Amino acid sequence: MARILGIRLLRLIATLFAVTFLSFIMTSLLPGDPAVAILGQDAIQNEALLEEVREDLGLNDPIPVRYWNWLTDAAQGDLGESYINAGQDVSQVIRDRVPVTAQLAIMAIILAVLMAIPLGVIGAYREGRWQDTTTSAAVQVALSVPNFIIGIFLIWLFAVQLGWLPASNWNRLSDGVWDNLRTSIMPATALAMTQMAIFSRLVRSDMIATLRENFILAARAKGLKDRYILMRHALRPSSLSLMTIIGINFGALLGGTVVIETLFAIPGLGFRLINAISQRDILVIQGITVFVAVVYVLVNTAVDLLYTVIDPRIRRS
Amino acid sequence: MTNSKLYRWLAALLALALLAAACGSDDDDGDAAEETSTETEAEGDGDDGESTVAAGEEAEGDVDTEVEATDVERVVGGEIAIGMEAEIVGMRPWEDTCGSNCYNIFVTIYDKLMESAEDGSYQGWLLDDITPNEDFTAWVGNLKQGIMFHNGVELTAQTIADMFPIQQEGSQSAGQITASGLADVQATGDYEVTWTLSRPNSAFPAYLARAQLGFVFEPGAAADADAFNENPIGTGPYLFEARDLDNETSVVRNPDYWMSDQNGTQLPYLDRIAFRPIPDEGTRLDATLSGTTNVAHTLRQGTIRDARAARDSGDPIILYEFQGNNVGGGMFNVLVPPFDDVRVRRGLTHMNSQENVIEALGGTGISLPGTQWFSPDSPWYSETVAAEWLQFDFDTGVELLTEYVNDPERSDGKAVGDPIDAELSCPPDPTLIAAMQVIEQVWTQSGLVNVELTNYDQQTHIDYALGSDNGFIGNHTTHCWRVATDEDPSTFLNAALGPPTADVAEANGLDPALVSPLNWSNYFDAEVFGSLVAATQTSDFDERYALYESVMLKLAEDVPIWFSGHTATALITDANIMGLNSWELPDGTLGTGHPNAEGRWGQVWIDPAAG
Repeated sequence: MARILGIRLLRLIATLFAVTFLSFIMTSLLPGDPAVAILGQDAIQNEALLEEVREDLGLNDPIPVRYWNWLTDAAQGDLGESYINAGQDVSQVIRDRVPVTAQLAIMAIILAVLMAIPLGVIGAYREGRWQDTTTSAAVQVALSVPNFIIGIFLIWLFAVQLGWLPASNWNRLSDGVWDNLRTSIMPATALAMTQMAIFSRLVRSDMIATLRENFILAARAKGLKDRYILMRHALRPSSLSLMTIIGINFGALLGGTVVIETLFAIPGLGFRLINAISQRDILVIQGITVFVAVVYVLVNTAVDLLYTVIDPRIRRS
Repeated sequence: MTNSKLYRWLAALLALALLAAACGSDDDDGDAAEETSTETEAEGDGDDGESTVAAGEEAEGDVDTEVEATDVERVVGGEIAIGMEAEIVGMRPWEDTCGSNCYNIFVTIYDKLMESAEDGSYQGWLLDDITPNEDFTAWVGNLKQGIMFHNGVELTAQTIADMFPIQQEGSQSAGQITASGLADVQATGDYEVTWTLSRPNSAFPAYLARAQLGFVFEPGAAADADAFNENPIGTGPYLFEARDLDNETSVVRNPDYWMSDQNGTQLPYLDRIAFRPIPDEGTRLDATLSGTTNVAHTLRQGTIRDARAARDSGDPIILYEFQGNNVGGGMFNVLVPPFDDVRVRRGLTHMNSQENVIEALGGTGISLPGTQWFSPDSPWYSETVAAEWLQFDFDTGVELLTEYVNDPERSDGKAVGDPIDAELSCPPDPTLIAAMQVIEQVWTQSGLVNVELTNYDQQTHIDYALGSDNGFIGNHTTHCWRVATDEDPSTFLNAALGPPTADVAEANGLDPALVSPLNWSNYFDAEVFGSLVAATQTSDFDERYALYESVMLKLAEDVPIWFSGHTATALITDANIMGLNSWELPDGTLGTGHPNAEGRWGQVWIDPAAG
């Protein structure tokens, strides 16, 4: 186990180094002068002021020097200050937004799993029959429709037509669980639909394979009820791939809620990232990118390790 | 059997959801496509006397909501939420970039020294009066007395003098200080302020109505700029309450506000306002239609079109529309061949079908075609210029381009007969892309232009035209762009048409300090610039009008800029939101309304009878 952890740690460090370097290069090569973005068009006439800002921010240094300076600071937990929003620490920006995006991601995953497991199990249990065909078609639709289209539809239905939910913005958990749910349920559902489709297909195919195993036949021969066999004997061995994909997708959701957060005007990491990109707020872009990458790699590592716990065969090998 | 029934119900529900989704989108599209009204109707319940506006009387496509006084009884209390196009950068007028979104928030916290009246003139707000010396190099103004900042400090002349060093260092206000020629600010009495300029400027009061120099902040609190950003202090009708970045900025009623309305009721009327950034245009409108917010702010014609459709289908909303000087279109970089040749610029402009471009922008029946830097509502608008502006004439365009292409001395160095190259660049907004595609089609159809369409995000688009790496000449050739504001013409024309490089300034014997990187098209004409300078040396309207008309006539001849339509903006509100088009200055003069979707929220109220 220690060896596995050691290898994972080395791989994690190498990945983080590559991610930070590449994202730094890419954000530095973005066209547009951050000094102009910071000062605005009215300051363009003042080249001395623009130069002062570039110098202050180290924008005149070569990219490798800027990367090294950033890396050494980041290694000590200092991700720098926002170029645009005065006095805003990038770490604080991330800390403020992680709970929002993480809540959305968790809700989306939970909703997706809650919908995917019954659909996948039904599809597998009734393989080839109308129940399977119907659920597969619905899943295919959910997979094909982009989540922002689902979001627009949800806004139209639940906010504009029915007036049940607010169309936009965010109530924090501190405003009350109910108020928070009212603003989070639609974006979480929009995010969940694609996840649900992926999970459900996975559960269905794995479950079909499991249901053909001898131990299932044995269980049936014992006269156990189908529901009992499905939920107690077949589901667990059919959920290994699901766990992996949940882990991967959770990491991806943390960085992939940009469109939904923008659509619903939710103050999460994605919304801030979009604003930072349009404002050329390089340190914020860099900070959020690195954070998402770190979480992604950590979650995947955790899932890999969890595999060894769940499946004794992997542990022994 | 029970399971089977459950499955069937599940399948039916899924089918219903899909059907509902399909129907929903069809309805929306249909309504929007059919909507071509050119009227803006302020809808209430009919009892409140609010206006119905048919501004098409002025010019086809002109749809401004009229500014007019109202005697409807004001109601104190209530709170509203306003959906804004974007989050603002910060809360400091001297330091943070301030567009339409920011202006809406700033105007609740800060008062300005001057304000625009309905007739386009500038009149006192915090100032009682302001008077120039003979040559407009010194201006003396008297502040209203007894006005307190939100932190209890009194506003005096010394406050304005103490603001000046901060403004000189401010990234936003420093540019305005240079542009206005402001050299010094002194307290010459307890409430008397003297502004000294380095050159004559008859339009200086216009700068005191702009966000960067006009909004008055408490200089003592501003000494710690970061802390001030967290807790801005002005004299405005609302007190800053809280800011949750990217989610909500809120202000609450200032119980000690100095201003009252003409009936003696203390302003402001509302208890609280929340500003919420909702970047998606559709969601922002839906938020208002669904009651999540009470007001939607928009600078997009497509949203105005959708809002009109919603209103006409029975949604209880009011559209406070505005269409001012700001006009879209594009510019040629006249320092880059072949756009240095007027035949090319005129030829391409003749091949700009304004009507089709406006349609592609979703502005048919909303946007008025531009012919100059002033809209027909502007006091500076000239019918003579409008008549001179190049109309769509494909054959003439081809003729002019052919003449250039076949000229052995053509400036781009290509072989005789070869088509010219034009990179047509615009930010990647769907409607802008559609508009550029219309132009591309026509230009390409001539067989004389190789058009390359490019799309860069807004910041890159600006930087591309700025070209700080090549002496501010810019790397663009043909670039979609917007020009003009509703402020005094000198505030934008002098920079936009000033000498673009030090070489140009030197060649024309001008002070290198006058070099303007904001001259995006790099067009410079000594006579034009002379007229612009002359217009800042007289306050006689007729004289100034003649000078600006001569400038516009020259631009119609040399066409460094081409036009599509004037920019339509709107504040889309619940049917009970009143006062946006009837606010008044302290002396009772009617204000300028809601230019660029900027409301004066201190005089907005909720009319329960109109709800």
